Order: sequence, then structure tokens, then C-alpha cells
Amino acid sequence: MADLALEIRGITKRFAAHLAVSELSLAVPRGAVYGLLGPNGAGKTTTIRMILNVIAPDSGTITVLGSPNTSPGLLDRLGYLPEERGLYKKMQVRRLLRFLAELKGVDARTADARIDEWLDRLSLRTAEKDWGNAKVDELSRGMQQKVQFIGTLLHDPDVVILDEPFSGLDPINSQALKDTVVDLKRRGRTVLFSTHLMDNAERLCDSVCIIARGEKVLDGTVSGVKSEHHKRNIALSLGGETSGEVSAILADRSQVARMDDSNRFFEIEMAPGGDPQLLLQRLVAAGAAVHRFELIQPSLHQIFLERVGAVGVEEGMSGHG
Amino acid sequence: MAKLWTVIKREFIERVRNKWFVVVTIFGPVFFGVIMVLPGYLSVKGMKSARVADIRIIDATGTGLGDRVAARLGGGVTGQSGGGAAGEATGTQVLVVEPAKLADAESLATRDVMAKTRRGYLVLDSLTISAHKAHYAGRNASSLNELQIIENALRSAILGQRLEREGLDPKRVEALTRVRVDMASERITDKGRGGSGLGSAIFGFLIAFLLYMMIVLYGQMILRGVLEEKTTRVAEVIVSSVSTDILLAGKVIGVGAVGLFQQLVWLGSAAGLYLFREQIFSKLGMPTMPAMPLPKVPAELIVALVLFFILGYGLYAALFAAVGAMVSSQEDANQAAQPVIMLLVFSIIFAQPVMLNPTSRLAEIVSWVPFSAPVIMPMRMAVIQVPWYELAGSLTGVAITCALCVWLAARIYRVGLLMYGKRPSMRELVRWIRQS
Repeated sequence: MADLALEIRGITKRFAAHLAVSELSLAVPRGAVYGLLGPNGAGKTTTIRMILNVIAPDSGTITVLGSPNTSPGLLDRLGYLPEERGLYKKMQVRRLLRFLAELKGVDARTADARIDEWLDRLSLRTAEKDWGNAKVDELSRGMQQKVQFIGTLLHDPDVVILDEPFSGLDPINSQALKDTVVDLKRRGRTVLFSTHLMDNAERLCDSVCIIARGEKVLDGTVSGVKSEHHKRNIALSLGGETSGEVSAILADRSQVARMDDSNRFFEIEMAPGGDPQLLLQRLVAAGAAVHRFELIQPSLHQIFLERVGAVGVEEGMSGHG
Repeated sequence: MAKLWTVIKREFIERVRNKWFVVVTIFGPVFFGVIMVLPGYLSVKGMKSARVADIRIIDATGTGLGDRVAARLGGGVTGQSGGGAAGEATGTQVLVVEPAKLADAESLATRDVMAKTRRGYLVLDSLTISAHKAHYAGRNASSLNELQIIENALRSAILGQRLEREGLDPKRVEALTRVRVDMASERITDKGRGGSGLGSAIFGFLIAFLLYMMIVLYGQMILRGVLEEKTTRVAEVIVSSVSTDILLAGKVIGVGAVGLFQQLVWLGSAAGLYLFREQIFSKLGMPTMPAMPLPKVPAELIVALVLFFILGYGLYAALFAAVGAMVSSQEDANQAAQPVIMLLVFSIIFAQPVMLNPTSRLAEIVSWVPFSAPVIMPMRMAVIQVPWYELAGSLTGVAITCALCVWLAARIYRVGLLMYGKRPSMRELVRWIRQS
């Protein structure tokens, strides 16, 4: 099992009366991009904190890169971007980054060279201005987020853990983060991130684990999960106004089992015994301007709603998920 | 250990680089110097307008004793005036009267004092010669220091007169009786003589106050530091690299080092001010003060001082850190820190009674209580010889309490650092401590 970057076996964590994580097991192969998906309060942050040995599980074991996560020096090989982000406001960016790197066991000289590299790469150092010499609170929010990424990756970790990395990011930083994840994977690093944004997960992840109320709902590779949930789904896109007649056809439970209505775009799950061809004929006959009618695999979003919707969403006590 | 060092380094460097720290560290001694020199400077200035010698001597002895006293007061003589206030009232005025007219002269003098043309008046009569009794009335009758000067002048004048009566040459008498005595007080302990009594009292107070200030200032610095890490969420990142125990230890040690560093700078500049005091005083036009007798500080006092500072600081720093980890906002912090500050204020309140009576039962009790011992005990040690068993017991008590507080604080810190929202109740706190 040496090719696993992370292996969790049956961990449980209870806070007073609240069961945050229950008998959770998962395995993340080395070099994979792994998504930990779940609604707020599902236990994602608690799980991540246990992986990082910030809190100890009540029971179960966590193995990172082949050794228990309590092994000395192991934390130096992990990079972590927390959901709740922040930096020392009064500290100079360069000194702050050097501090974060030194905490991960990187010596000051190596750190300085990498800091310059990263500042250039994320255009925090340009011909006009070197933001590395500014204090953190002189930076815009977007720039502070970039500094935070740098802090996470400065020690070139083998495993990168990102907790809700997309929350609060503007589109530019969001794209920069996606590029970074792809780049990390290309360099053989393992990335584990938690999110409740299924679109991002679907595009980025090789494998996912969906948890709700501290329990695993399902896990596996994205393609595996999708084919497991293979149902006849239809992506439907209509032009013009949706007439009452069209709405009635889509509400026909003998044909349509479930429908995710995004106004102009519908993801439809056919009812058992329903016939896509018949549905299309009816829609055309009703005068709908069909722009797209395609048989598709269900999206992670659909699967998530279907599986987690049944379990329900509960707000967690820590307010973190 | 390397990580602990990294945390300590950051705490130290970031704080020492702070503008305010630089200002306070450099100007602190200047400020204290001004505070210490200013009263002396002002009283020198004030003396010129209200000198002790500006009194009237009503001499009814018929022996010229009044002139002798005036000469010894050394403020110059304005000569005899028939009565009433005549212009500027500086220098001693000697009024020779018949014993029968003494009462009139006195009531006139009373009016002059009330009209502020004279500071006071001294009445010398036959009783002064026979029974060494004199009478003084004046605005400064409550100033022990000034009365003593007048009394000394009178005593020396009578002595001179007696010697002359015994047949000594007046000039010899004058020379012989002009003796100025400067008495230095010295303290004796079991170990023998040990520096000046007043010096060690001041030193003791200074120690207590410095320890108190250090603990309050740097303890609160820890509180703010922990709160900052919490509210900015930096803690989230840092705990993924180091354990909370190391983070807490690094913070406490780093901030403590800042405190020691500042004290060293202050001590250095205080020593400088002391060494160059003559130059400074003469620049200000003040008479050079006699060298303040510096107390001899025995080595064991220094050792005890350092130990009490380290343990006392550790104890309170841990408590402040726990408070910082408990709360999520500055307002909550102010409230939650109050019990800790009360403990400290309680120690400094007892400093004065203990100073005045360092061997009392109260003094013994508060130097056993671990929360006040770090402030009170070193102060007591500066003024009296504290029995070794008391010292050892008090130190042990502080050490055990310190260890206990650090242990509790580390547990609260571990849980609290990543908890946001409302302040935990007492019951929740106990659960935090058990849980971690």
C-alpha cells in the first residue's frame, strides 16, 4: 500500500453530544487529485484537522505517505490552506513567508529564493512594485490570497490539503488556483481538497468522497461514481419562453423522474420505462425551440443532490463543516 | 526545537522592530529621568522665593543670641527694622526687644506672617538661655525639614554663646561650632552591614513595581498576540506546522525575551544617567546631589529576582494566553482578562503595607501566596533578611502554580485557538481541559 498518499481507517470524532465524523475510511492514491465533498457541517474540516494532527480522532488510524500522521517531521511534507484564511497583518510579506517556510523546516536561504520565484509567478513582484516588501495589510484581498497560496506551497509539499479553496476567491485567483492544482498533479504531488462546489470538483478531481453528517455516502473515481449512477439523463436546453404545455410535459412523472431546473437548462432523469425519443417528440410537438437534447451521464451535482438530499443537511456545531 | 526557535525569533523580532517599542525603549529612561530630576529642580527654584532663613527673630534675651542664629541660618541679615514690613522680605530679620514688649512684637510679627511679608518668626527670651526653650510660629510650621534647620541653627548658636562665656575666643567658637553633619543610614542584617537603609527601601519598591509592570505589560502583550492569531485566523495555518504547545511556548519565551531586552536597555541607560548625573545637574543649575547610596545587591537576591521574574511571568503569561484563546474579540478579552488583572493588582496593593512593615504577618502571608509572591517576595528580600525556608517555600509554591497554570493554559489554548464564537462557560472550559 506504499502508493497511497493518505489512508484513513475508521476514524470517529465526537465533540460533546455532537458526532462530527463517524467511522470514516478513505484512501487517496499518490499523485491523485482528490475531492472531499459534502454540505456545510458534514465534517470536512474536522476530517482535515485530524489528518493534520491538529486534533486527534477518538478512534481509527490515519496514515500519511506510509507513516502514522503523528510521526515527527511528517507535517513538513504537507501543505495546508485552511478555509478560514488570514495572515499577520503587520508583518512584511517576505518575512511572513520566510517564517511560514521555516516552520516547515525550509532554511532561510532556500526560502528566499523560492519566495522571489513565487512572487514573480503570481505577479506580486513587477517592475514597478515589489509587494514582497509591503506589509500584509497594505495588500488587497486578492493579493493576500495569493500570499496565502505561496505560504501553503513554499516548502514544496508532497501532499497539499486545501479546505474550501475556492471560497471567497475572485475569478482570476480561482483560475490561478486551478492552474496550480493541475501543475501540482503534473509534478506528481497529491492534492486533497474539500469543497461543496461540485462543478470545480467534477472538473479537477480524479476521485471523490462524498460525506454528509460525518459519514461517508460514497467514494471512488469520478468516472466510476458516474457510471455507478448511470441512469438515462438528458441535458435539455430550450430557447424562447417555456410555455405551460412544455412545463406540463416535463412534469409528467411517467416520463421524467427528476428534473433540475436552471430556467433555460434542464438536467432530466428519465423515469423507469420512460422513452427519451417520445419525450423529444412531445416537446417538439408542443412548439418548444429545442437547442440541445443530449443523453448524458449524471453530473456530480446531480449525484450529490440525489445522495445527500436523502441524508439531509445539518449545520455543524463548529461552524466549519 | 528548530521550530520553537523560529516561533521565538518571530515574536522577538516583530515586536522589537515595532515603532512604538523603539520609542518607548529609547524615551522611557529619558522620561523617568525627567520625573526623577524635575521635583528636585522645581524645589531648588522654589527655595529661592521661600527660603527658610526669611524669618523674623524676636530677640528678648539681651545677649545678641538672635544675631547668632541669623548668622547660622546663613540667609543674610536685613537688619533691624522698627516694625512693620519694610519692602522685600528676604534674609533674616532680627528684632531686639525689651522682654516687656515681647507680646506686642509677637502680634505684629503674626500680622506680617499673615500678610506674607515674613515666613515665620522665632521668639527667644530668658527661658531660651536658662532652659533652652524657644518658640517658632510660621507658615512652614508643618515642614519637619525646615523646622529642623531652624532648630539646628538655634542649638549651634546657644552652644557658641556658652563656649564664649567659658572664655573661648569668639572666632574660634565660630569656627568650631560650624559643623555640618550629613548622616547616612545603613542597614544591618544577619550577614552584617549591607548598604543604605533608604537605598534598599527604594530599591525594593522599584523591584516590586518593575516586576508588576513587566508582568502586566508583557502578559497583556501575550493576550493580544494570541487574540490576533485567532481573529486573523493565522493560527489555522500555523497549527498545521507546529503543535500548539510549541506555539504557546515560543510566544511566551519570545515575549519574555522582549521584556528582558527592554529592561536591559533601560538599566543600561539608567546607569548612564547615574554616572553622568553631575554634568546633568550642573546644566540644570542644580546643586549636585550627594551620591545616592546605591544598595549593595547580594548575589542571592539577583538569583531570586530572576527566578521570581521567570516563574511569575510564566504563570501570568500562561493565564493571559488562556484568556486570549478563550475569546474571539477584544471586548470579550478585556472582560475575561479581568480576574487575571485583579490577581496582579491585589499583589501591588499589598506592596506598600509590606514595605512599611516587611516582617509583619501580612507580609509573610502575601509572600507565600503564589499569585503575589513574585512581586512581593523580591521586594521584601531587598529590605529584610527573609528566612531561607520562607524563600524556598515561596519559590516552590510559585513554581508549582506556574507549572499548573502552564498545563491548564496549554489545554485551553489547544482547543480554544480554533474555536470561534461566544466565550465558553465555566463548564465548557472544564470540558476543553478534559478533552485535550
